[in-house]
Amino acid sequence: MKTEFTDIAVIGGGPAGLAAALEAKRAGVKRVVVLERDVELGGILRQCIHDGFGIHRFKKRMSGNEYAQAFIDETEKSDIKAYADTTALELTADRKIYACNSRDGMLEIRAGAVIMTTGCRERTASQALIYGERPAGALTAGAVQRYINIDGYLPGKRAVVLGSGDIGLIMARRMTLEGIEVEGVYEVMSSPGGLTRNIVQCLDDYGIPLHLSATVTKIEGRDRVRAVTVAKTDGSRRPIAGTERVVECDLLVLAVGLIPENELLIKAGAEIDPRTKGAVLNDRFETSLSGIFAAGNAAAVFDLVDYVSVSGEIAARGAVEFLRENTSDKNTENASGGADGYVPVIAGENINFVIPQRVRKGAARDLAFFMRVKTSAPRAELRCLCDGAVAEKKVCRYIAPPEMLSMTPCCAAEREIKIDAVNE
Amino acid sequence: MRMENTSKYGKNADTAENMPPPQRSCELQAEIICALNEKFPGVSIEAELDGRGILTLNGECAEWVRVVEIGHFAAKLDGVKNVVNRLGVKGVRLPKRDYAPLADRGREIGVTEETDVLIIGAGISGCGIARELSKYKLDILVAEAGEDVATDATKANNGNIHPGHAVKPGTLKAELNIKGNRMYTRWAEELGFKLQRCGSMGAVTDESLVPALEKAYAVAKLNGVDGAEIIGRERAYELEPTLKARGVEVVAALWLPTMGLVEPYKVAVALAENAAQNGARFLFNRTVADILKENGRVKGAVTDKGIIKAEYVINCAGVYADEISEMAGDACYTIHPRKGVIAILDKNRRPEFNGLVDVYTPENVRSRKTDENTKGGAMSRTPEGNILMGPSASEIPDKDDRAATPDGLEYSMSKGAEYGISYADIIRFFSGNRPADYKEDFVIGMSEITDGFINVGAIQSPGLTSAPAIAEKVGEILAQAAKKNGRPLALDPDYNPIRKRESEFRTLSREERDALIKRDKRYGRIVCRCESVTEGEIADALRSPLPPTSIDAVKRRTRAGMGRCQGGFCQPRIVEIMAGELGKKRTEINLRGEGTNVLIESNRV
Repeated sequence: MKTEFTDIAVIGGGPAGLAAALEAKRAGVKRVVVLERDVELGGILRQCIHDGFGIHRFKKRMSGNEYAQAFIDETEKSDIKAYADTTALELTADRKIYACNSRDGMLEIRAGAVIMTTGCRERTASQALIYGERPAGALTAGAVQRYINIDGYLPGKRAVVLGSGDIGLIMARRMTLEGIEVEGVYEVMSSPGGLTRNIVQCLDDYGIPLHLSATVTKIEGRDRVRAVTVAKTDGSRRPIAGTERVVECDLLVLAVGLIPENELLIKAGAEIDPRTKGAVLNDRFETSLSGIFAAGNAAAVFDLVDYVSVSGEIAARGAVEFLRENTSDKNTENASGGADGYVPVIAGENINFVIPQRVRKGAARDLAFFMRVKTSAPRAELRCLCDGAVAEKKVCRYIAPPEMLSMTPCCAAEREIKIDAVNE
Repeated sequence: MRMENTSKYGKNADTAENMPPPQRSCELQAEIICALNEKFPGVSIEAELDGRGILTLNGECAEWVRVVEIGHFAAKLDGVKNVVNRLGVKGVRLPKRDYAPLADRGREIGVTEETDVLIIGAGISGCGIARELSKYKLDILVAEAGEDVATDATKANNGNIHPGHAVKPGTLKAELNIKGNRMYTRWAEELGFKLQRCGSMGAVTDESLVPALEKAYAVAKLNGVDGAEIIGRERAYELEPTLKARGVEVVAALWLPTMGLVEPYKVAVALAENAAQNGARFLFNRTVADILKENGRVKGAVTDKGIIKAEYVINCAGVYADEISEMAGDACYTIHPRKGVIAILDKNRRPEFNGLVDVYTPENVRSRKTDENTKGGAMSRTPEGNILMGPSASEIPDKDDRAATPDGLEYSMSKGAEYGISYADIIRFFSGNRPADYKEDFVIGMSEITDGFINVGAIQSPGLTSAPAIAEKVGEILAQAAKKNGRPLALDPDYNPIRKRESEFRTLSREERDALIKRDKRYGRIVCRCESVTEGEIADALRSPLPPTSIDAVKRRTRAGMGRCQGGFCQPRIVEIMAGELGKKRTEINLRGEGTNVLIESNRV
């Protein structure tokens, strides 16, 4: 078995991983390794041929491929060692990674620091509690996207989309452009899950109806999807009896949410936040395992790829700092020194979650927080309170649960940091 | 303590001595009609008892549950060997398959195959029997309606290898359960599938429940369950430390060390592959639409794709077995499908116990359903470590209705509440239909009406456990018949009971994995990330003695697509690999048989 030593190992060569690897390089790290399980770098962006990426980072609208390519080009110019078609199978708390590929067989990679940028997976029909048979023609939006955009095949002729998050909206448009009739998009919540611009550009422009407070309850058809039963939903997202309607279709596209993929971290023993389903992170995006960091959709599901890359860079700077502490023989226990070493970051009443979830005591520097609100409002004030005192506030116009918010306060709290959004 | 076998269970209801002589038949029939009228006033039921003790019911009820209730009641009456229940439901057209067009098509095609033995159905029973008979010099043909083995009740089973404590003493089920459980060890060794003897424990937390526990123990001993014992708190804590950790005040427990776990579809695949290695042939996508007979002897079957001539026909058709038996002119039982919903949980939700544990408190005993005929399953797990919830149990009129229902899932999940298990832990739920008859026992034997036609019907729980014993019993029935017909079975000297075990990347050590990849680089490419299944394993499956032809069939052999993403990431890759290996277009690859193609057309020019 081949053993390789590296300073930083990044698991996942998508937008978070590549940004992290490049940031580590910029900070002067000598040996950086990236492991990617797909045949090429780029992660899920490879199949995202629609535009709207990079508005914040590159100040222009790019396709997912173009956005990824910008990072891939830079990676190729650097001496970052990228292993494509290579799957990480195991991670240990002492930062050993066991991976495999066709060329090298099994690999043992011993890293000074590890950055987990493993992305997320999609929720399935069973997880969305759709009852009935399990015929062909019920696919997740990501699988449909791959079939159409990468493989070049259509999985149906008449589709119903469940979920109005960005992925559902984008796929409704994509399928329409490919000649699949999209009967409608159904959303269990009373407001759309995706960005407003996507509602306009993906549904309104193509005359695709959006049915709010409605969901698919049952799949009809034994061999192939023949129809789905849709029903109105009440305030607690439950179907209302008597409102059922049968919609004929041969394809049900499920865009019912993403779940961070953290199986390696979980097995390695990292603490997981039940809210984000990602690892509990500190201010430098380090997990509860010393020297193991996480970023991107593996840490929490982001809405914009630009922020995903930013999070990768934060984790990379943290990893670089960790390496320096380690080489200068300084106490590294502050990363995982128990609850006492941390100031908790508390999500206020209207905040669904915040990452990072805690800040190291004495970490007096610019902090970066990403959060999602629980309810939408046309105008709200985002506040960061350190030990009860407002450290920073900013006014946001139109906040909504689908949109990730961020703030970068500079504070040194002793007891707690609280983030809240106060609707005005 | 050992209870003597002197009860009314001691006599086997299937033996000839129990059969009413013809002259008694009329009196019995009158008694039965009286009993039915008394029990179900207002329902018009016609009942006819034949000389064999087969009671045929006709009439109409208000609802399906009543049809089933009457069937069960009638089956328990004296002199009734089994029930053919033709009761209808007022104002409802009960679903019934029309085989005529399929049979017409098959007759038009004519004879396509000739064989010594035709086995109908490639579930656990059919595959087990095919493998058992493949040790003889016999032509064996298995006709299966689905596209693979184990596509119906077998795949929807929770994989429990029951100790045999929960079956009624004296029944065929009890006999074959105990034998089958013992035989599984050898099956697992020879066939190379995973069998975990995890043991099961029923613990009670109150003195008031001890008599029930002792009764269960007595039944276990009566049935002959190996190693069954009543244990005290200390021993229970030792076997299952979690009980102690959770502070469960165990008063006593029934410990059954022979409880085992398998993956039922893997067992069926292993049996079928070994049978195929030993010469048995499998025809998939073949629906039997009629049985051929001449002068009281079976001659073969008409399928939708031609006629298969056969000397012996073995009916292992699961929920359709009663219909096949009727085609053979022997309507002697009715299958009433009992639907079960099972939920599979994410592997991150780890099983808390070493084996299967049921804790009985006075409260939960009161709240649990007590109807013995509709008993569902509790929490279990697979040998791979996924917790299984359920199955539920509900009587349904339509055998083809395999739709998972909210009620069924709720029932299955209700047993996890005390362990903090919620719907969020589910990665998939599905349902299947148990082939239950009204006697709630297996129907295994040579037809008394059509010679050469062997019924293996009503194989519901503990059918999976009993499968080895069922196969053996059918082998004996066939050997006897062959001897009687002057052509005794001869052992095949080339028979090899050992099936080559395929490489399983996920269970290998790092060094073994490395060596495997060096041997074939395709083992270095992970296709299913959730379950760590490699391209090499998928290729192996596609080149196995019984190659899978559908995505689900690949899944059952390799686990690709069985993990938490449920194929979201790997299905496109599997379609690609299958198309490449099988020399097909991707649009020709299907999910589970004809008409289930995943991709409709190419969007490239």
